Amino acid sequence: MSELFVALTPSNLLACFLGTVLGTIVGVLPGLGPAGAMALVLPLTIKLGPTAGLIMLAGIYYGAMYGGSTTSILVNVPGEAASVVTTIDGYRLARKGRAGAALAIAAIASFVAGTFSVIALQIAAPLVARAALAFGPAEYFAFALLGLVLLGNLTGGSRAKSLAMVVLGVMLSTVGMDPLGGTVRFTFDLSGAQAGLSFVAVTTGLFGVAEVLASMGELAAMSAVAHPRFRELYPSRVELRRSLPAMLHGTLLGFLVGLVPGPAATIASFVSYGIEKKVGKHRAELGSGAIEGVAGPEAANNAAAGSGMIPLLSLGLPFTPSTAVLLSGMLLMNVTPGPFLVRDHPGVFWGVIGSFYVGNVMLLLLNLPLVGLFARVATIPARYLMPGVLVLCAVAAYSDNNNVFDVWVMIVAGVVGWAMRALEFNPAPLVLGLVLGPVLERSLLQALTIARGEIGGLWASRPAAVMLAATVVAFIGSGVTALTRRAATRRS
Amino acid sequence: MARDRWCAALLALLAIAYLVSARRYPLDTLATPGPGLMPVLAGVTLLGIAIWLFATSSRAAGAGSRLGPTGSRLDAARAAGNDTSLPRKPLALCAALLLYAAILPRVGFAASSFALVVVASRLMGETSWWRPVALALGFVSVSHLLFARWLGVPLP
Repeated sequence: MSELFVALTPSNLLACFLGTVLGTIVGVLPGLGPAGAMALVLPLTIKLGPTAGLIMLAGIYYGAMYGGSTTSILVNVPGEAASVVTTIDGYRLARKGRAGAALAIAAIASFVAGTFSVIALQIAAPLVARAALAFGPAEYFAFALLGLVLLGNLTGGSRAKSLAMVVLGVMLSTVGMDPLGGTVRFTFDLSGAQAGLSFVAVTTGLFGVAEVLASMGELAAMSAVAHPRFRELYPSRVELRRSLPAMLHGTLLGFLVGLVPGPAATIASFVSYGIEKKVGKHRAELGSGAIEGVAGPEAANNAAAGSGMIPLLSLGLPFTPSTAVLLSGMLLMNVTPGPFLVRDHPGVFWGVIGSFYVGNVMLLLLNLPLVGLFARVATIPARYLMPGVLVLCAVAAYSDNNNVFDVWVMIVAGVVGWAMRALEFNPAPLVLGLVLGPVLERSLLQALTIARGEIGGLWASRPAAVMLAATVVAFIGSGVTALTRRAATRRS
Repeated sequence: MARDRWCAALLALLAIAYLVSARRYPLDTLATPGPGLMPVLAGVTLLGIAIWLFATSSRAAGAGSRLGPTGSRLDAARAAGNDTSLPRKPLALCAALLLYAAILPRVGFAASSFALVVVASRLMGETSWWRPVALALGFVSVSHLLFARWLGVPLP
């Protein structure tokens, strides 16, 4: 626990500051998300060393959640998918002249939820890691499969399309050496593909290049930006009192949703808004500029971002694209997340958790006085910003293996990602399929070998059986829900 | 919906091509599974999903056609995902990116990235020449200093 103070060394404080500032800017900018931005700065973070590097990456991750609300409130343009719901009441509050109060409540709610989720993470992650020590290959296989099926159900839109993306990601993960025998597969004599497709190249392509291509026709129109003054930032006593219950609901709900695979921060913010609409004292005002519509969703998305770190740190399984990039960063720095992380790298584990506390304070201090400056970043024309993003994507992809082949992979991934968006295929499940594919394959092969070829060995233990049953229920349950919804639509 | 059917057909073709390529990797036995097992499982699953997507989009298209014409031919085409207008600027940027990767090892990072920034900025609506040139100089200099000098990345 004393390693928590590792976060307070000057170099780690600087890494945390840079990460949170960068994350806030990324959150403010519509388009480039935290996963793409984290992949872009991977070469830089590797140079910083494991603790400072991961602190910086984590800073970008939760900084983006803070920053996403700024443009939602001031410009009616969500910087992040998780802040879409904040536009509903946040922008209306800004139109009423309460932009400052809405921004302050968003920052306070983010701080409260972020701090709560760090405390819970600090308690839960080592406990989950200890429980995971009893996990064998069958349990890991069941858990990864459950994650991928849930992800296919929760990303929104067509379930078939989401699951196709998951499987496509798993297929891409089979390029290169197989995880057990070392057989080289699907490389087509390309030497650059022997070590597998670079995760950084695929991520920068799908989330960076594709975003630049998609933004070419979208960023021309931008609403006028409100610039609240510092003294206007103080919410009134009534606003504070009204937002407190919504903050607490959002925090608890976001923390629980964050443990489920999928775009947890986005789902948590929508569910939190839905709950406020059902149980909130001022639910009739929601939609016309109610402070609860900002406090609840902002608390929920930050709490979900924090609890999403639990499966990553304690099991080594990422369930969002951002945590997948974080996993990639950890592996590049020779830090393997999972049950042994606390034992093998206590400085890294507690240092990163300690930096969450520091980062949350930094974000609160940054977001309140500098909110106008961050909002102005969102108005930089795409024609000045996006060409630079392309160059950064190329450098990030190249520097992963110092190989031009990875630049080709990035460009192909970018073009395919752009086409996928146009055809309403979500790229996030593909990225997670790519990351979880090797876990799935390794654990399946090991479990079958241990069970001497008996398929029943996959569900011989109770945790594995429960998780596989949950997978079947999730798959069938969502199918039944879709059929019921379709029948209801047909009737109406 | 026609678009979804095309996507399903493309996914099915991809799955078949992947399964054909996977034939060269041994499956072995379930007790000692070989490197071909996961590719076969993944390929067959994708093929199944492609058939599912094709079936659901065909059913939806059938339901749509029973509703009859509701708007102009263009609207109907758009609703069906048959909008044939090409997004020329993004396609031009795709071509520029492919050219960038091709010339990167030959002319080096600085020259190719300079050209990419200028072309991308112009394609995104910048009308003057001096701004993209200044922007490109700035981006290339900063990234070269940061990555090549400070971080020691051996940029081409």
